[in-house]
Amino acid sequence: MNHLLLLQQGQAEQLRHFPYITELVKLKIQNIQLNSFNIKTHSELRVGLITEGKFDWNIAGQGYTLFPGDTALACPWQAIGSTKGIMDIGTLTWIGIQPEYFDVQGKLQLGTWSGISESEQGVMGKILAMNKTPVLTRFGAGATILQSIEYEIMQQEMGYRTRVNHLLDELFIEMVRHLSKAENFRRDFPQIFLKLEQTLRSNLAHPWTVEEMAGLVGLGTTAFTEKVKVFTGFSPLHYLINLRIAEAIKLLRQSKHSLTRIALETGFYSSQHFSSTFKKLTGYTPRAYRKNQ
Amino acid sequence: MDCILTIDINTSAVRIHAFDLSGKVLGMRKGSYPTFHPQADYSEQDPEQVFITTLYVLKNFLNEQIHPQKYKVQAICFCAAMHSVLAVDKNGRPLGNAVIWADNRAIKQSKMLKNSPEGTSIYNNTGTPIHPMSPLAKIAWMQQQDPERFNQAYKFISLKEYIILQLTGEYLVDHSIASSTGLFDIHQLKWNAQSLSFAGIDKEQLSTPVSIYFDEVGLKKEYYKSLRLASTTKVILGSSDGCSATLGSGDIRHKRATVTIASSGAVRVAGKEFLADEQQRFFNYLLADDYFISGGPSNNVGVAFDWFTQQFGNFHQGQEFEQVREELIRDAVYVPAGAKGLLFLPYLLGERAPIWNANARGVFFGLNITHEPKHLLRACVEGILLEMYSIGKLLGTQRSFDSISMTGSYASVPLFAQILTDIYGLPVQVNTQVDSIAQGTALIALTQMGYFSGLEEASASTHFTGTYSPDEQNHDLYMKYFEVFERLSGKLEEEFELIAGLQ
Repeated sequence: MNHLLLLQQGQAEQLRHFPYITELVKLKIQNIQLNSFNIKTHSELRVGLITEGKFDWNIAGQGYTLFPGDTALACPWQAIGSTKGIMDIGTLTWIGIQPEYFDVQGKLQLGTWSGISESEQGVMGKILAMNKTPVLTRFGAGATILQSIEYEIMQQEMGYRTRVNHLLDELFIEMVRHLSKAENFRRDFPQIFLKLEQTLRSNLAHPWTVEEMAGLVGLGTTAFTEKVKVFTGFSPLHYLINLRIAEAIKLLRQSKHSLTRIALETGFYSSQHFSSTFKKLTGYTPRAYRKNQ
Repeated sequence: MDCILTIDINTSAVRIHAFDLSGKVLGMRKGSYPTFHPQADYSEQDPEQVFITTLYVLKNFLNEQIHPQKYKVQAICFCAAMHSVLAVDKNGRPLGNAVIWADNRAIKQSKMLKNSPEGTSIYNNTGTPIHPMSPLAKIAWMQQQDPERFNQAYKFISLKEYIILQLTGEYLVDHSIASSTGLFDIHQLKWNAQSLSFAGIDKEQLSTPVSIYFDEVGLKKEYYKSLRLASTTKVILGSSDGCSATLGSGDIRHKRATVTIASSGAVRVAGKEFLADEQQRFFNYLLADDYFISGGPSNNVGVAFDWFTQQFGNFHQGQEFEQVREELIRDAVYVPAGAKGLLFLPYLLGERAPIWNANARGVFFGLNITHEPKHLLRACVEGILLEMYSIGKLLGTQRSFDSISMTGSYASVPLFAQILTDIYGLPVQVNTQVDSIAQGTALIALTQMGYFSGLEEASASTHFTGTYSPDEQNHDLYMKYFEVFERLSGKLEEEFELIAGLQ
C-alpha cells in the first residue's frame, strides 16, 4: 500500500488547526493486503472518492461496486468496509469529518467552524440520515473540493484555515444537493411529492419546516412552495395540517388515547393548538367529534 | 347572487367549482391527496384524508371566494370516481383504506367469475364488465383473502358514499355510482341478488340506492354552521365522473362520442339503449332520464406518455419533468405522421377496453436501422391515440357517431387533438375552458332545480372553444397503421401471457 498522502489527527501537524478533520488520506494500492479494510463504523462522517480501479465495498449492510468517479458516503452509524476485508487495487482519497453532534435521527451540528446556519444544518442532517444511496455517481464537485482541501492544507498559504472551513461547508452543501436532486431526477412532481408525503406521514410528530421539506426534494423554498400550491391546492404548511388532522381523526375514532397524546403524536405542539385547529377545520372540538361518532 | 357548488372527488384530487344558475363557472379550488401502493397490484386511498381535504377545500373556497362576494349557495352537488370500495364498521368508522379503481388485487376472483355462465348474467344485469376494478370482485377478494376485515364490515361503500355519510350521516348511493359496482341491476334499479351472493354479502351491507337528483337529506347542522351555509342549501347526490364528463361535453341527443384523454382514458357514448356485448367489452353506466353512458376505458394514455418522457426525455441540468414533457410534444409535431413505419402498442399497464387483457404489454413494432428517438416519440403518441380509436371503432359497431368531444388534460394539447381527428377521420371538438366533469355535475344540479327541463336540454347548453378537422391523407395513412395495430393486439395474446409470466 502506497500512501500518497496520510494525515491523521493527533499525528499530522497540518491538521492541528482542524481538530474536526480526523484524517485525510490518499492511497495508491498496488498489492492486496489482507484485513486492510474491514467493515466497521467510525465515529466520524467519511467521504471517499475513487480515482482508479474497482472496489467492492459494503456500506450500511449493502454491497456496492465503486468505479472511478464514484464517491462513497458513510454516516457515523453506518459501517463501511471492503466485502473481502481488503483494499482492492486502485487509487482513492478519503476524508473523515467529525461533527460536534450527529445522530441517526439526522440531528446535525457541524461545529463553530461551519458557516452554515443552524437550521440549514438541521435540514442537511435529515437528508444525510435519510439517504439510502451511499454511493454518489457523477459527483464531480467532490473531486475538485477534496483536491482543493488537500492543496490548502499542504500549502498553508495566507487565509488557508478559513479556506479549508469554507471548502468543508462547500463539500456538505454539494453532497446534500446532489443527494436530493439525484433522488428526484426524471420524476414528475406528483411522484416527488408522493415520496415526500410518505416521509411526512412516517414522522408526523416532527415539527417539519418548509426548509426541511424543500430540502428533502432538492428544491429551493420558493419554487417548492409554488409547486406544492399548484399541485395540491395548499401551501406546504397547510397541506401538513391536512395530514395531521386526518391522522388525528383516525386516532380520535379508533383509539382511546388522550387528546394531549393525539395532539403530540400528530405534530401539534399542545392540546390547545390541536383543539383550535381541529375546530376551525371541522366545526367540532376534538372532544365533541369523538363523542359524536 | 345565487350560485351552486359542485364537488368532484376524483382519483388525484377534489375539485370544487362554483357555477351561476345559467351554468357559467364562477371559480374553482382544488386539493390533492395521494394514492398508496403498499404492494404492486394495490392502489388505496385514505378515506379520512380524502374527507378532510374535501372539507378543507370547501371551507377555504367558501370563506375566501364565495362568502366575500356575497354569493348565496343554493345547492351542493357531488361527483366522484367510480369503483372505489371501503369497508366500514357499525359506527361508520373505516376499516383500513379505500381500495380504488386502479387496484388489481382481485384478478383471480374476476377471472373465475368471467369464465362462468354466472358472469355473463351478472354482466348483462349490472352493465359493469367483470374485472378487478369492480367493487364486486374486490369484495369477493376481501371475503377470501382478508376475512377478518370482511367479517367486521357493517357496510361496503365508495369514497363518495363515505364523504356523504360524514357530511349528512346517511348511507346513500346514487344510481350512477351504484351502476359501476357490478352489484346493481341497472334494469330494475335494485341490488342484484346474483352479485350479492358472489360477493358474499347481503343488500343491507350496501347503501340505499337513489336517483342522482336525490336531495332529501341535508348537511349535519354543525357543517351548515361551520361552513356558514344557509340551512336551506340543498345537497344533491349527483353522479359519477364518467357520466358527468359525457353530459358536460356536448348534446347527449347528438351522434357523438366523448373521448377522455388524461392519465387514463375512455371513449363513451350516451344513449337510451343498453349496449350488450357477448365478450363483455363495454360498460353501461346509468345516468338518469333513461340515459345510459356506454363505452370502454383504457389504462395506458397519459401514463404511457409520462413513462416515455421519464425514460427518453432529455433531462439536462435543472430540467423539470413537466418542461421536458412539453418539449417532447413540441418535437413530436415535426415528425411526419406514421413515424416512418413504426408502431407502438401502449399496453404498459395491461389493458382494459377493447382487448381486456391484464397481461398485455407494450410493443414497439417495425423498428429498422433508420429509426431515431424522434420516431419512437411520435410512435408513442400515435400508439396511445390508435388505442383510443380501437375502443371507438368497436363502440361504433353498435352506436354510430359522426363527431367527437375530446375532454381531459390532453384536450388542450393541439398535437393530440389533431392526431385524434386524423385517425378517426371525424371532427374533434374541445372546450379548453371548462372542466367537463364539473360542467356535467352542475347541469345535473340545475336540472334538478328546474332550470332545465331535463338532461337533454341541459347538455345542449354546453359549447366548444375549438374544432379540429381531419386531414384526409393522414386519415388514410393511419388506417393502414391501424390495421397492423389491431392485428398485432389480437395476435400477441399468447405471447403477452408468456412474457408477463417472465416479469
